[in-house]
Amino acid sequence: MRYFNNLSTRTKLLFSFGLIWLLFLVVIIIAYQGLQSITQSEKKLHDVNFQIALELRELRSHQNFNRAAILDMMLTREKSEQLALEKIINERGQAINDIVEKLSKLAMDPLFQNQLKELENEIGVYRQTRKDEILLIQNGKIDDAQRLGTTLQKDRFEKIRSVSTEMGNRASKEAYNQLALDMQHANSAIILFILFGIVTLIFSIAIIMLLNRTIAQPLNEITKIAARIGEGDLDIELQVVERNDEVGILLQSFSSMIKALKRMAASAQKIAAGDLTGSIVPQSEKDILGNAFLQMLNNLRRIMKDIMEGVNLLGSSASEILASTTQVASGSAETATAISETTSTVEEVRQAAQLSSQKASRVSENAQQVAQITQTSQQAVEETISGMKEIQNQMEAVANTIVRLSEQSQQIGGIIALVTDVADQSNLLAVNAAIEAAKAGEQGKGFAVVAQEIKGLAQQSKQATMQVRNILNDVQKATSAAVMATEQTSKSVENGVKQSTQVGVSIQKMADSSSKAVDAATQIVASSQQQVVGMDQIGIAMNNINQAGMENAASMVQAEKAANGLNELGHKLKLLVEQYKV
Amino acid sequence: MQKTTIDWDGIKNRVNMMQDSLNQKIVLPQEEKHSMFKARAQALAVETKDKTAQNEFVEIVLFGLASETYGVESTFIREVYPLKDYTILPGTPSFVLGIVNVRGQIISVIDLKKFFNLPEKGLGELNKVIIIRNERMEFGILADIIHGTRSLAIEEIQTPPVSTVGIGAGYLKGVTNEHYIILDAQKILDDESIIVNQELV
Repeated sequence: MRYFNNLSTRTKLLFSFGLIWLLFLVVIIIAYQGLQSITQSEKKLHDVNFQIALELRELRSHQNFNRAAILDMMLTREKSEQLALEKIINERGQAINDIVEKLSKLAMDPLFQNQLKELENEIGVYRQTRKDEILLIQNGKIDDAQRLGTTLQKDRFEKIRSVSTEMGNRASKEAYNQLALDMQHANSAIILFILFGIVTLIFSIAIIMLLNRTIAQPLNEITKIAARIGEGDLDIELQVVERNDEVGILLQSFSSMIKALKRMAASAQKIAAGDLTGSIVPQSEKDILGNAFLQMLNNLRRIMKDIMEGVNLLGSSASEILASTTQVASGSAETATAISETTSTVEEVRQAAQLSSQKASRVSENAQQVAQITQTSQQAVEETISGMKEIQNQMEAVANTIVRLSEQSQQIGGIIALVTDVADQSNLLAVNAAIEAAKAGEQGKGFAVVAQEIKGLAQQSKQATMQVRNILNDVQKATSAAVMATEQTSKSVENGVKQSTQVGVSIQKMADSSSKAVDAATQIVASSQQQVVGMDQIGIAMNNINQAGMENAASMVQAEKAANGLNELGHKLKLLVEQYKV
Repeated sequence: MQKTTIDWDGIKNRVNMMQDSLNQKIVLPQEEKHSMFKARAQALAVETKDKTAQNEFVEIVLFGLASETYGVESTFIREVYPLKDYTILPGTPSFVLGIVNVRGQIISVIDLKKFFNLPEKGLGELNKVIIIRNERMEFGILADIIHGTRSLAIEEIQTPPVSTVGIGAGYLKGVTNEHYIILDAQKILDDESIIVNQELV
């Protein structure tokens, strides 16, 4: 039983229904076998015993018919008719033979076979006699035939009939016996069937009851417990059965659930009683209730701490407020004296403002004069700048002239080179002339002197060109120096223009600032006048302040009372909060 | 800024004076002329003295090669010509400078410095060619500068110093008192080694 309990529900159900199905299978097999045997014996009955009886009956009928045919033959005198009858008799004999053969095949019973042999012999003897009889009839010896037919042949016929009848009766009897046996078989099968059906039924009921006890009843109990838990009743004692199936696991789970819920309930009761100490351990990370409780407890603890601190603060603040209000009350008297001092100071300030207004108007006049002066100096600066620009243009012209001079010196240099070349060629010419003169001999001597002279002239002109070249070099150097000086001057003039422009800008700024000074002075005058008016207003305001101070003193007394009340409230709150254990 | 005022008028006057003097003909001062003439007269006087003393004279053309002054008898000289547009001939010996065109005639030019192992100087516009000839030959000698002509007494030409050796030794005629090296133009012209024979083949 315990082992069965430990099986899982699926296995249990499979086991139970499997058993029932097995029993049903046995019942069905028994029924099938009973029916099968009955059907077989019925078939045998039909195929053998009844067939035998029927064949024998037919045999008898053929025999009867043949006997009747013999009698007919005896009665008839006509030969043709006798022949036709004989033919019929032979046909019938053949049919009897067929039946006998069929019968020998049908039954295997030895007793039956012996009887059949006896019958066959009798029929053979009878046929032999019948042939004799037919011969007698055909020969016209009707009386002999009649005699033979009524004596010997009649006995034989009777014997055939009795044997076949006995055989038929035996077959019928056997069939009846077989039927009775079948009946008996069927009855016993029905009894067995019913017996097994009853066993199966009992067994099924037993299994249903077992399942009911092992599964349904515990589930029902758990359902009831769940309903109670649903209503919030946790006062439940669940006896845990040692079972490993689903029901057992369900029971264990329920038990642990109830325990956890009870623990939670206990914690909640503790919190409700105001005890915030201790902690709650959640079952798992997914334990929403446990985690929420833990968080709630922590939050409550923090809030309570905050409230306690707040209350303490409130208490101390209230006492401080009380002290402060007392101080304020004494301070308002001091304020009153300060206000009267302030009033006299305001009057002094007013006089100072009037004085500053006068000074400011004088400053404004001075600034206007400065503005005029700056305007004239600005004009002067502009003139200076234009003059400087004129100088710059002229310097540029000078520079151009110097450059032209330099170029012309270069041209002179070219001319000098030409002259040098000419002098050189003249020299050569003189030498050639001298050579020619030498060739001429005595007559060329005068020519040689001329040649010498030409040579001297050439040398002189060469020296002169050298001198000119030196002078030209000096001129070139002087020109370069002049260009540099001009450049320097031009730069100086440029600087002068720049500086003059800067001076112009400075003067412009000065003009701007002096005009600003004029504006500022005008504004100062206006604002000093406003100051005077303002000072008068301050005097009036000071009076108002004095009155307000007195009213303040009165309200301070009330505030003191309120602060007292607040202080008491703080004490009460402190007492309340101290009831909670954190 | 106080500055010394420029004497513009003075400057103007000076410039005008210069302009005027440029416009006039430039005339040498009298003293300068005199001194020039005097010098010339003296020079002529010296030469006449020499001529009267000696009987046999020879006309020499003096020219400079490197730092020395050389001389050639003017009878062998056809003319003196400035060295310009000369053409270097490939395949000629190194002493042949090249050829020049003198008024349509092609003349070969020989550099004597190669013979006398004198230091080379760069060629320029001032270089001259002395064209020498006799009845057989005619060619140019390169000269750095032409000094001029001079009449020399034959006695004045002394035999060359014994120490003179080398290829050019045979070309010297003698040395004067004034250290002029006189070349023997006849020998130079007759020298077979100067003739570049390839052109005859």
